Amino acid sequence: MATVKSSVTIHDPIGLHARPAGQIVKLVKESGLEVRIGKHGQDLVKANSPLRMMAMKAKTGEELLIEVDADDEASANDIISQVQEFLKG
Amino acid sequence: MVSSGTILNGMGVGLSAVTAEVFRVKPAMPLPEAAKHSGDTATETQRLKSAITAVAEQMNLLAESAGETSAEIFEALNMLLEDEDLFDTAVIQIEDGWEAGTSFIRAVEEFAELLSGDAAFEERLADIRDLAKRVAANIAGISLGLDLPTSGKFVIVGEDFSPADTAQFTEAVVGVVTIQGGPTSHTAIICRSKSIPAVVSCSKAADLVDGMTVLVDPVGDRVVVEGKESDITKPLTFIAKSHDPLIPVRANIGSLEDAIAASASAAEGVGLFRTELLYLSATTQPSKEAQAKGYEEILRAAPAGPIVVRTIDAGSDKPVPFLNMGHEENPALGVRGYRLIENHRDFIIDQLESLETAREASGREVWVMAPMIATATEALEFAALARAAGQFKVGIMVETPSIVYEIPSLEGKLDFISVGTNDLSQYLFAADRMNPALGAMLNPWQPGLIRALKQISEASSAAGIYSGVCGESASDPAFAVLLAGMGFDSVSSSRSQVGAVREALSAVTLEQAKEVLAAALSGNSAEEAKTNAIGVLSGISEN
Repeated sequence: MATVKSSVTIHDPIGLHARPAGQIVKLVKESGLEVRIGKHGQDLVKANSPLRMMAMKAKTGEELLIEVDADDEASANDIISQVQEFLKG
Repeated sequence: MVSSGTILNGMGVGLSAVTAEVFRVKPAMPLPEAAKHSGDTATETQRLKSAITAVAEQMNLLAESAGETSAEIFEALNMLLEDEDLFDTAVIQIEDGWEAGTSFIRAVEEFAELLSGDAAFEERLADIRDLAKRVAANIAGISLGLDLPTSGKFVIVGEDFSPADTAQFTEAVVGVVTIQGGPTSHTAIICRSKSIPAVVSCSKAADLVDGMTVLVDPVGDRVVVEGKESDITKPLTFIAKSHDPLIPVRANIGSLEDAIAASASAAEGVGLFRTELLYLSATTQPSKEAQAKGYEEILRAAPAGPIVVRTIDAGSDKPVPFLNMGHEENPALGVRGYRLIENHRDFIIDQLESLETAREASGREVWVMAPMIATATEALEFAALARAAGQFKVGIMVETPSIVYEIPSLEGKLDFISVGTNDLSQYLFAADRMNPALGAMLNPWQPGLIRALKQISEASSAAGIYSGVCGESASDPAFAVLLAGMGFDSVSSSRSQVGAVREALSAVTLEQAKEVLAAALSGNSAEEAKTNAIGVLSGISEN
């Protein structure tokens, strides 16, 4: 299994709040893949806990690192682009 | 079984009556204290898992019955409730020996700490804490919610309702009856502001059961079982004899929204601007600029006339997060109101200085007063602080019995006093406002309170100090006439009552107001005082 790394940017005016966090978790659970997310220079957290993601207190304009463990790159990229979509607000 | 036509006496809130079916609210039991478990970790973990599932199902049911927008909110809440990290954190607490419910609450608090200090999460924090309570209640086998009907029309009957309870009032709640609680209880205040007819402190309401039809007749201070239209007590109608009321009627406000609404009423200025509401939700002390800006908006929006601003009235029962107030055994008798000066002098000075900036910018006439003043020394100290900070008329609240005796010594030192009858009653009668069983003692028609108010008015006028009343009692048109008869210079009412109070005060002369006062003083109980006063008033309004 390979790990696809990328970055996403928060455009949501309230930052990474409950709704996008919930959407990400729902997506990750449905995919069955392991996804990690976090700020530059900090430990990444598993994207299966909305509270843990909210606790990063990521704000509008911040860039987050994202890692997806997947067998094929296409499905990993698909997850990443959807996460980016959720963060548009 | 209560028979048809039975009359249950209490204290009315509001002027209109309503007839509807009784819905009894079961008393909510308190959550058990934090405790250790005596079983094994696996069983406890399983109990937690089932409770979370059960609460999630309840939320799904709520989501189904709620509209589309609300359904999304419930779905988001369930994501938080079923958060895996939260569950794992709770399991660690279980391994430490805490029972399932306690563990979940502790886990939520761990996350709450991580999320705190961020304005975007404040409401979510409250939601998560509420979910934790529901889970703990499920584990302890306790029903938390009022489970109020959402359709139809009901008179809800219960012991008394907390702020959390009244927040759950649905459209279906058209009338409210409480067995305990007085005219200044939270229930009464909310019902008055939402214009829901209510009768509080109605001890016989304990006999009412689901399915009965009752008439809630607040003007008659009663509930009538299967009451008819003809049982409704009509409010006194006052025919204005002059354009201006006997004494000015001001409005009580606490926010910009209130100020805007009050300026649409007939209020002459603001008699009580409660400033603490601006700080209760702030986690850090707002800058002077931010305070001044907030005040300026409100001063500009307020109805024409003077604006009486009360400096922060907080205490451990009404804590302001950034002032770090400790727990107290008796918060009502503790460090609250002006007593915060000891540890928070800078904050109070900041508040006065921000108000001065707002006063200058808005060009409004601002009076400032401090709450919870008990000694002449405190009154003088506040007056010095306020005069150093700005060009205000300076006064104090009269709500402790001790300051009543000090009014003569304040001659020439203060511009005005304003009586807070709710707290004055609480301290005069040694009756906790928060204790619903003591509601009847907090009835403003208590002869002891009426005599105390008369003494305050007389002492103020002898000392050349302007006097007003801003407690809930001043929102009762008949009581306002009594206050004018005593010699008070103005009253300040809830904004929904300004019109009614103004009408009453425009219908009587000072002589008549004094007759009403004399009639009230001839009563030996709160009920007699009120009946006598209303008797004289109806005579006046019929002529």
